[in-house]
Amino acid sequence: MPTIDFSLEDLRNLLGKKIDLKELKDRGILFAKGEIEEEKDGKLKVDVKDTNRPDLWSVEGIARELRGHYGIKTGLPKFKIKKSDLVVKVDKKVEKVRPKTVCAVVKNLNLDEKSLKQIIQLQEKVCQTFGRNRDTAAIGIYDYDKIEGPIKYTTFKPENLKFKPLGFKEEMTLEQIIKKHPKGKEYGYLLENHKEYPIFIDKEKNVLSMPPIINSEYTGKVDEKTKNVFIEVSGHKINTISIALNVIVLALRERGGEICSVDINYEKEKITTPDFSPNYEKMNLEKCKKILGLELSKKEIKDLLKKSRCEGKIKGNKIKVKYPAYRKDIMNERDLIEEVGISYGYEKIDPEKIKFQTRGEEKEIEKFENKMRELCIGFELQEILTFTLTSKKNLLEKMRAKDKKIIEISNPVSKNWSVFRNSLLPNMLEFLSKNKHVQYPQKIFEIGKIAKINKQKETRTEDLTNLSIMITDNEVGYENIVSILDSVMENLGIKYSLKKSKNKNFIESRTAKIFIKGKKIGKLGEIYPEVLENFNLEKPVVALEINLDKLLKLSS
Amino acid sequence: MYKITKEGRKYLKEDFPEIKLIKKEGKKIKDLKDEIDNFDIAMQWAKKNGWIKIENGKIKIKKKPEKYKLSDSLKKIQEDKKIDKKNLEILKKRNLLKKIRDDIEKRAKKFVGKKITNLDPSLLKTGLWRKTKFKKYKIEARGKKIYPGKIQPYQKFILKVRRKLLELGFKEMSGPLVELEFWNFDALFQPQNHPARDWTDTYSLKNPKHGKLPEKKIVRAVRKSHEDNWKYGWSRKKAKRLVPRAHDTAITPRYLAKNIEVPGKYFSLVRCYRPDIMDAQHLIEFNQLGGFVIGENMNLKKLLGLLKTFAKEFGKPEKIKFFPDYYPFTEPSVQISIKDKKMGWVELAGAGIFREELTKPLGIDEPVIAWGIGLDRLAMSALEIDDIRKLFSQDLSWLRKSEVL
Repeated sequence: MPTIDFSLEDLRNLLGKKIDLKELKDRGILFAKGEIEEEKDGKLKVDVKDTNRPDLWSVEGIARELRGHYGIKTGLPKFKIKKSDLVVKVDKKVEKVRPKTVCAVVKNLNLDEKSLKQIIQLQEKVCQTFGRNRDTAAIGIYDYDKIEGPIKYTTFKPENLKFKPLGFKEEMTLEQIIKKHPKGKEYGYLLENHKEYPIFIDKEKNVLSMPPIINSEYTGKVDEKTKNVFIEVSGHKINTISIALNVIVLALRERGGEICSVDINYEKEKITTPDFSPNYEKMNLEKCKKILGLELSKKEIKDLLKKSRCEGKIKGNKIKVKYPAYRKDIMNERDLIEEVGISYGYEKIDPEKIKFQTRGEEKEIEKFENKMRELCIGFELQEILTFTLTSKKNLLEKMRAKDKKIIEISNPVSKNWSVFRNSLLPNMLEFLSKNKHVQYPQKIFEIGKIAKINKQKETRTEDLTNLSIMITDNEVGYENIVSILDSVMENLGIKYSLKKSKNKNFIESRTAKIFIKGKKIGKLGEIYPEVLENFNLEKPVVALEINLDKLLKLSS
Repeated sequence: MYKITKEGRKYLKEDFPEIKLIKKEGKKIKDLKDEIDNFDIAMQWAKKNGWIKIENGKIKIKKKPEKYKLSDSLKKIQEDKKIDKKNLEILKKRNLLKKIRDDIEKRAKKFVGKKITNLDPSLLKTGLWRKTKFKKYKIEARGKKIYPGKIQPYQKFILKVRRKLLELGFKEMSGPLVELEFWNFDALFQPQNHPARDWTDTYSLKNPKHGKLPEKKIVRAVRKSHEDNWKYGWSRKKAKRLVPRAHDTAITPRYLAKNIEVPGKYFSLVRCYRPDIMDAQHLIEFNQLGGFVIGENMNLKKLLGLLKTFAKEFGKPEKIKFFPDYYPFTEPSVQISIKDKKMGWVELAGAGIFREELTKPLGIDEPVIAWGIGLDRLAMSALEIDDIRKLFSQDLSWLRKSEVL
């Protein structure tokens, strides 16, 4: 979710209304699905929650939306588009790299430091979030007065063209830019594996930019003195880049700019952008009332839509809704229903209690876990909770276990949490190792999930619920842990048997497998000294681990 | 040696019952039965000693003894003096004396006249504790610390929350820790190129990599919904990828696709995974609580009603407030915040009505309310901690000291 900064004063000026902070916080900003995160000396930090509404990621966009809800200007935003004589010729060669572009010119700007900052902020947010880090949409803004049309959108071999990238004093080849310029290093991967790189270049052979990497220092530098700008958005789909262009152009218009169109000549077609013709979607009025649970008249619905800058025509029980060309989020009538709800105001809706009664139902294993928990408390064991993720080192190396197939994460944040545990023991030993200075005896237990590979399952894995108990003290031995197991089984009324085991976690002849009705349900014993050393432990530890899913099945 | 029994000590204090009896000359027997303890014994011995006879149901003294031998003998025993064998036998028979084993006597005698620390069982068996003194203790001194067995504090909180949801009529759902992207994303109408599916936002697995898709009918319907609405070529292979479950909502479509009751209320409280850097606000692994409600024509008004119920059940809100919100799988979406005395405004839950593009392919035609509660933040507030890592505390001292919620 994008977070944007702006000043309350700027919003007030754009809105044309002296909205106070409390009203903005409690009601106004909600119309833009926003939340004020921080407020200091009139400077606001706002989270805009809708990741599908780039038109709201700027103070200009928020003002436009709020004008509707406060009745200052409702319905579709209207404005004039003049024609510029600028033409952009798209070379067929770009098809393989970055095939599409849409452009616009905005004239007579009167930018100051603040508004320039806002535009740059919007450009960044749109490229990052909406444009998937410049992949699906990258925006370039240029000083129109330094450009000689027509502009050509074409490709060059990386070593064949030189220009001064933004912020640099020397000319560099495209190849050098990718390797040395900070933006080249950051976004270069987007052009990887291409033999030629995309370039905007004007009639005078001045390079405008190498999208989606960097503008040129000459034309691509925009500041407060810039009066007229040329804007291009490049990417892969006309629909996507058009939204980005419309959002930027409209924001500049809010700052007093005049929008002018640009002709773009593709090999096979000619288009003129920006295109602000509205889109249409139908909404069933009954459905709208049903989903919201509100009794609304046709006129009320129509008026509420107007407040969110849409316009509707009612036909029978349907309304045909025109919505602005900068909105990408409207997929079907449900999206329009939400618009009606937001315009109505959630604070005005009287919550209604759900009347039907149902019976709560717990999983059997949860009940069983609680039973075991109660027993463990009786044995004076302290419950602990650890992560189900652990490290290969803890799980295998320290436990002297074979490199069995374990469930492994391919993109771990840290090696410490990169595999799923297949036993509770390593985490519990690690817990003890962190508490060596704490009073002994230490008696702990954990009930938790472990996960194992199981090719039969649809997820090729299965997770199980295990119980593990551990005791450590100066003097503790096999008999201490067996007596706990015995007591657990006696309390469950289950007969069990112990069989010899060669588990390497434990001392041989002081470890056993636990069987019920011929099925193995767990293990217990004295932890092998080398394992203790691996975990930096200096007192003996006895442990047991049993699978509760199996135990539950066998005990009922 | 012999120890005087409890009965014997009583006789020493109050005299033998037969002595008590002969002091009641002329009284009616039936009245005396209540007046004298061990009346039968008293009668037996008074007669045997030739002290009394009975006339007209009344006691009549034949002979009054100057001294009573048994009484003297018992006193002598108390003073550690020897008595004759005949009386010893009688006292033993009458259960006024008890023989003490020699080794016990020997052990007990070592303590006689001394200040003792522990009350040795031999002292109680012989009664010789009477001839010892107790060493004085500093009663302000605390003993060695002991720790009871306790449920982990966060676990305790989770159990409480679960109990509450059961009381509200919710059924618990469960699902696998390692999940197919199909259920984690596709079935929830998240397009395959959505940034949430990038490696930066979701873990992926090295081993195993791919799982098995569910029945064709569902896969086909989900694919169509994506291709018709998001307009891209849906990939089976991508949907088959396995991920550590990224959110609890991954369980919901599994249930919607097959085994639900309508009307019904469902919840899940499960471990989820996200590749965050661990710090005071973030865990790589955490519990999420969420679920859905279906039936009775769910709508936004009832959704707000449900959230209001949650607010009352899970906190003591002074005020509640609803905000329009955005979630990729619900429309409309809403967030509820509550104003708590201690914490101020806190985000409690997010919710919405599932998009039809999600429910229809799973065979559900009516509106479904989906909700999720910020469990960790609630837990931190309940446990009064400000570092989220403490929920999984590795500090045994802290766990031992933690208050019982």
